[in-house]
Order: sequence, then C-alpha cells, then structure tokens
Amino acid sequence: MSEEKTIAEIGFDLDRSDGVRRVEGRVRFFGDRIELSQDGETSVIPAGDISEYRLTRGVGSVMLEAVQNGEYILICRATMEYAEILGICQKRMNAYLRGSAPKKEWLSRSAGVCPKCHRPLPPGSSRCPRCAPKKQYLRRLWKMAKPYRGLIYASVLIYFMVAGLNMLAPYVNRILVDDYIKAETLPVFSQYVIVVAMLLLVQLASRLLTMLRSYLQAVSANKVIVMMRSVTFEKVERMSLSKVSKRTSGELMNRITHDTADIQQFISSETGTAIENILMLAGISVLLFTYDWRLALMVLMPAPLVILSQRLMWNFLRSRYGRQWTLGARSNTVLHDIFSGIRVVKAFGMEKAEHKRYDDVIYAESRTQADNETLFAVISPVTSFLMGLGEFFLLYFVGNRILDGTMTLGEMQQFSSYVAMIYGPLRWMSGLPRRLSRTMTAVAKVFDVIDEENDVTDKADAVDTDARGVIDIENVSFGYESSSEVLKNINLSIKPGEMIGIVGRSGVGKSTLINLIMRLYDPDDGVIKLDGVDLRDIKQESLRHNMGVVLQETMLFGGTLYQNIAYAKPDASPEEVINAAKLAGVHKFAVRLPDGYDTVIGEKGYTLSGGERQRVAIARALLHDPRILILDEATSSLDTETEKDIQDALQKLIAGRTTIAIAHRLSTLRNATRLVVLDRGTVAEVGTHSELMKKKGLYYELVMAQRQMSKMTKESA
Amino acid sequence: MEITTDKNDKAENGEKITGLFEAAGVVYLDFGNCRFVKHGDFLGAEISVGEAKSYGRVWLHRSFPYELPENYISVQDADGEEIGLIRSLDSYGEEQKALIGAELARKYYTPKIERILSLKETHGTSFWKCLTDAGELSFTLQDTSRSISKVGGDAAVITDMFGNRYRIASLKGLDKKSMRKLEIYL
Repeated sequence: MSEEKTIAEIGFDLDRSDGVRRVEGRVRFFGDRIELSQDGETSVIPAGDISEYRLTRGVGSVMLEAVQNGEYILICRATMEYAEILGICQKRMNAYLRGSAPKKEWLSRSAGVCPKCHRPLPPGSSRCPRCAPKKQYLRRLWKMAKPYRGLIYASVLIYFMVAGLNMLAPYVNRILVDDYIKAETLPVFSQYVIVVAMLLLVQLASRLLTMLRSYLQAVSANKVIVMMRSVTFEKVERMSLSKVSKRTSGELMNRITHDTADIQQFISSETGTAIENILMLAGISVLLFTYDWRLALMVLMPAPLVILSQRLMWNFLRSRYGRQWTLGARSNTVLHDIFSGIRVVKAFGMEKAEHKRYDDVIYAESRTQADNETLFAVISPVTSFLMGLGEFFLLYFVGNRILDGTMTLGEMQQFSSYVAMIYGPLRWMSGLPRRLSRTMTAVAKVFDVIDEENDVTDKADAVDTDARGVIDIENVSFGYESSSEVLKNINLSIKPGEMIGIVGRSGVGKSTLINLIMRLYDPDDGVIKLDGVDLRDIKQESLRHNMGVVLQETMLFGGTLYQNIAYAKPDASPEEVINAAKLAGVHKFAVRLPDGYDTVIGEKGYTLSGGERQRVAIARALLHDPRILILDEATSSLDTETEKDIQDALQKLIAGRTTIAIAHRLSTLRNATRLVVLDRGTVAEVGTHSELMKKKGLYYELVMAQRQMSKMTKESA
Repeated sequence: MEITTDKNDKAENGEKITGLFEAAGVVYLDFGNCRFVKHGDFLGAEISVGEAKSYGRVWLHRSFPYELPENYISVQDADGEEIGLIRSLDSYGEEQKALIGAELARKYYTPKIERILSLKETHGTSFWKCLTDAGELSFTLQDTSRSISKVGGDAAVITDMFGNRYRIASLKGLDKKSMRKLEIYL
C-alpha cells in the first residue's frame, strides 16, 4: 500500500460529530478512496462517485465536505488553524477531479506551516509570530543605515568627547576649591583666572559639541527613516492586491507613517541618550572606584534598590497606563466616527445620543488619567527619596573624613558631583526596557511589511509584450479566500479586435475574471495567455501598459483635471488630452469651468459629479491608447442619454482593439461581438445577442427581466 | 436583548398602514411546521410552510450567536435562501433540541474562557493560555486590542490570528486575576 501515491494528505483537529471534542487526525486522499485516521482509529470512505469537494466555513471551525451522487458527505472538521491548508487541499482535489495537473506547491506537506515550530502560519503571512527573528531587526536596521554610518560614527565620537568634558568639570572645580578658595597660601591671581576660564571653556565646549551632536543625529535619523518609509511604501505598492486587501489601508498607513516615526524618535533621541548614559555610568564608576572603592560602594548601595523599585512600579503602572492609552484611542475613534457620519447623525436627530457617547468615553479616559496621576504623585516621591538615600550615607562618611583631615573640601565636592551624575544614568537605565520594547514593536511591524513575500511577481526571464490582443483563458479556477472558488474551470478565447461583453448576476465572478486578465491576482489553477504567452511570463509593467481600464469606482487624485487625465501618460501633449477629453465627454464641461483644464480636483479641489468623474476616468483610459480596453461598469453611473453619447464615442475607439466590458445594463453591450454569460463561477452561455435570445436561456431571462423593469419605469413616468 | 413579537403599526387617524412585520414577511418556524431529521452526516428538515416539503440538507445560522444563541435561528437551503426563522427552540422537545444543538455546536466552535492562565505580550502580538470548556487552549492574537471586542453589555469575543473565536460569557463573572490580565485591552 505504501508505494501507492497519495494525492493529498492533511491533518485535522476536531471530531466529526461531537461539536467540541479535539482530536488528532489525518486524512489521506487516494484515487479511489479517502483514508481517515482519528486518535489512532482508521476508517475508509470510497471516493469513486465524488464529483466535487467543498469547504464550509463555520464560526471557529471549517468542514471539508464532498458531493457524492448529489448528496453531501462530511470528510473532516477542523479549527481555523487548518482553514487555509484545507482550502488548498480542496482546490487540489477539485483540480484532480477535473484531471488537471497539480501545481507543485500543493504537493508540499509544509504549505502554510512555520518551518521552525511546525505551527500553522497566520493566513496571508509568511512570518510566524512565535519564531520571527526579532533580535535580528536591530542588526538589519543597522544594515539599512549603511550609507549614513559616517554621520553616526561622528556623533558617537562627539558623545565620547562630551562625556569626557562633563567628567572633567568636577575635577577643575576641585582644583578651584582646594588650591585657590581654601588654599593655605594666597593663590596667584592670574592662575586663578586661568582656572576659572578653564571651567568656562569646558562648559562652553561641552555645550557646543552637544549642539553639533544633536544636529548630526537629527540628520542621520531623518535620512534613515526617509529611506525606511520609501522602502516600506515601495513594498506596499508592489504587493499583490490579495496581500494588500488583507490589511486595511489605515493599518498600512500606520506602518509607513506612525511606526517609522517611532523608530526615528528612538534613533534621534534614545540611542544618543543611551550612548551618553552608558559612557557616563562607566566613566564615573571607574573614577569613583579608583578614588575610594569603599566610598563608591557606599554610594552605590541603594542603586539596586532604586532600580528594583522602579521596575516594580513600572509593572504596576503599565497596565494602568495601557488602559489610559486604549481609552484615549477609543475617544479618537468615536470622534472620527461621529464626524464622518455627521449627515446620518443629523438626519436621524441623534446629536444628543452621540454627544453622550462621546462624553462617556472622555469621562472614562479622564477618570483613569486622574487615578494614574494621583498614584504617580504618591509613588514618585518615594522612589526619589530612596534614590537620595545614597547621598545621606555619603554625607555621613565624607563628613567624617573631612573632620579626620583625610579628605579636602574640594575632593568632597568633586566626589558628590560624580555621585549626582551617576544617578541620572541609573534612573534612565531602569526605564530602558520599556522604551526599547516600544521601539521594537514598531520595528517588528515595519519589517513585517518589508518581509512580506510577494505572490504576484515578475519572473527573472519575464518578457516584454507588444500585445496584438489575443487572450486565451484555459481551465482557470480562482478564489479570493482559499475556501470558496469564485471561478471554476473557465475556458474562453478572445480574438484581437473582439468586443466581449461579460454578463451575469451580481457576485457571479465578472469583476474577478477581469482582475485575473489584468493579473491583479494569479489564477489558482489553469493559465491565462496573451498572444500565446502565459501572463506570468510577461513583465507586469509591460502588460499593464497594453491595457486601459475604466473601473466602476473612479479614483481621482489631487491635482488638476489635466493631470488626472494624463495620469498614465504624463508626457501627453495638451492637444492629446483635449482629444481624449472630447471623446469621453469631458471637454464640454471642462472648458466651461472658470479654470478650464487647470481646475484642481480631488479631495481639496473642485467637486465633480459622479458622471463627470466617470468621464474623466474614461478619458484617462482613452489617452493611454491601449490595445486591450477593459470596461468594468464604466458607464453605469451615467444616465441612459449620456451613456449613449459616450457609447457612440467609445464605439469609434473600440474598433480594432480587444475590449472586455462588464455592464449590468445589458443595452450597454449591444455592440459586443460575443456575450459571455457567467453563472455560479462557470461560463453558462457564449454567443451573440441574437443567438442567445433564440436560445432562451439565462441571457434571455436577464434581458426579459430588464425589459420588464424599463417598461415599468416608462409607464410610471 | 429582548425577544420581540408581532405588532401592527397604526397611523394616528386610525387608518391601517402596512406594518414593518407585515411588509418584511419573515416566515417563522417552530415544532408545528418544521421538524429536523438526520440526513447522512448532516441535518435535514421536513417543513410545511404553505405546502409540506422535505428538504435534504439544511444550513443553520444563528442571528445573535453570543447574546441569543437559542433564538432567531435561520434555516437555509442549499442556495442560501432562508426557508424560515426559528424564533425560539422552546417549542422543540429534548430529542429535536439535541439534533439542532449538535449541528449548531459543530458550526459554532467558540470555546468559553473560564480562566486566563497566562497572557504575554511582545511587540503587539500576544500569547494566551486559557482554561476553557473545551480544555486548556493556547492561542495567539496578532493585534491584541483589535482582536477583542465587547458584545452586548457584559460578554466579550476574542478572535485569534487564524479566526478562531473564544467567548467570555460574563466579564463580571471572570475571576480577578484573569480580569487584571484582560483589562487593559478592553
């Protein structure tokens, strides 16, 4: 038996019938049967009559099912950890049933599993949260900073100098006190001036160097972060649509702006302080211990106590401050909610209720804040007192020494200056873990994006295309989520110059098919070819260059009308733009605007109506002059009259170009060479309008339903 | 949440206007017109709304999975069309209830957290170990505070990085130690 090849093998973890029982199971698929083993017991399901595999998503669980002789049978059940891999298995088995060759990655048993800890990976990510190499992040950050290391080294050098100068000051001070102020013989006045001048010089040099250092640091942090932002942004832009849509745009914005800002903050202030404090700590400790190790020990005795108490305090406060932070974030969210929905709030007269909602969160926030501050006010004097204990010890012992005559007043001053200086770094160090952890969170999040594996990539040997416009869709299956197939085994061949209309009910996979043709996603199974070349072998830039797209949702960018039309062809001449605009029906309203084509549109500028926006989008696609034109509900937001105008204009343009159009309004597609009717992810009918009408199938039904509808609206009008 | 019942809206001058309930035309099911049977590995139903019909497999969906798990259960056919809505399971006997309950338990795998044994957070990702009604479970949340949501007044739902759900039936009922771990994310 063992040499017989399994088609797929996967694990599952929930009992088939008992809702909550966890089990350890494996299921193996063979050509003629399915072998199940659950907690050591095995059973066999004959697989001969299975026509399809399905994955049913429950809540917190998924079920892999099969359709056998029209009836459903349950194969196995698992928690969501297995959802992705069960989806892959389902696709593989369906591909097997269709007789297509399995893709290589389906064969690997480790798909979707962390190679290190063998736990399933989070959906859509290649980074295991448990095993992510966090410690390497700092090293990688350092690597990214390579071009600016000169700057960084320079600022470190300055740190050494400043620390040295800072430590010199108490020494000069001692000379001042012992040799001049308290001197037994009358000091030489000129020498006295020199010492005072030295003190001044030390101070001045230290300040100047600090200024220079801050400048260098700000510059280097800035440069590193600008680079990091740019790298992250580029990464996000290059990510395939499926990866991008798994994250919200807010989250991605946060990665690029917020998290990188956290890192910048850390580089520009924290690293500097770190170097400074560590240098001070080391330097002063050496000085103190060489001077008198017993005294030094005495002074430093409370230090561990201080650090410990600060840690304890932080642990205690952390959860409270965390809560304050969460509440603060919530009050922002509520505010954002209310303002962005202000029309609804007013329309339903809910101002008072919303006011109360906002009041509730800000009161909760202010209560926590007040509590925290009170607590902090009580705790911090205590730690300060503890920290000051060392000075009392010092006072006692040093006082004795001075009375003994074994220590001079100047020496005492020098010593206590050092002691005062050493407590700063100590206090700072106790807070370091907290700050470091915050930065590491940001670093981890940014690298999470940078490390994301791109699934729609250009092959190394990808070719340029100068498309003639032959599109072949062969056995294509695809699903956005691994569990549900939106398109199943689609076959379609489009000749150059053809206009293909894609029709079907909502959610039937029309836009999905177009997304695949544009290669915003790669099909799970099968191939799409342009002029006989697999899309995956064509450079994406070259592919998109040959396609002009008008989508249902029109995206206008901040800029002038001219810039928006020339978006995909920035070097377009004004005349080209006017011609494209004329064809799309933009010209008519554009020239009437006081600022003409120079009118600023987009978020901050002039507001165009829905129809006008749509026309701008069409003009943009026309200017692009593509071989393949894709219209996804391009004219749906226009009234029938305007649509007709644009349709006529488009008709001139469509001639000779391969056009693929989706429209709900079937009259839009009356000029199509062929209509493709999709139903439940498969091609149900293909033919011309009259052929399909004669057939009296699905298309006929759709047309009839729409006629009925328009008749009704006409009658009522 | 309360269970509402049918009522007709009346205009002020006494003229009857079509009420919301009448207009929506929700079909309600109970033991009188809907009985469940075993259908292979799944659940089938005999439903007589208008005319008696024996459905093959039917799909159950809770309308309020956390707040009213036993009420407003939608019964759907293979096309995802709603056959009817079970307002309450009260009209069903033990045996039928067990059938329905088993099917629901299979779809809704949402272990109830009884105690949080440990909760560690590093870099925004948190690792949990909890005692639940399905035994001791460990799970990971990728964006901790966004993965925990309060439902209704006193319940909470935690969604882990895979989409598994864990319930906390009552926040007030949670022991102090667990609450202290959870609190900062609420």
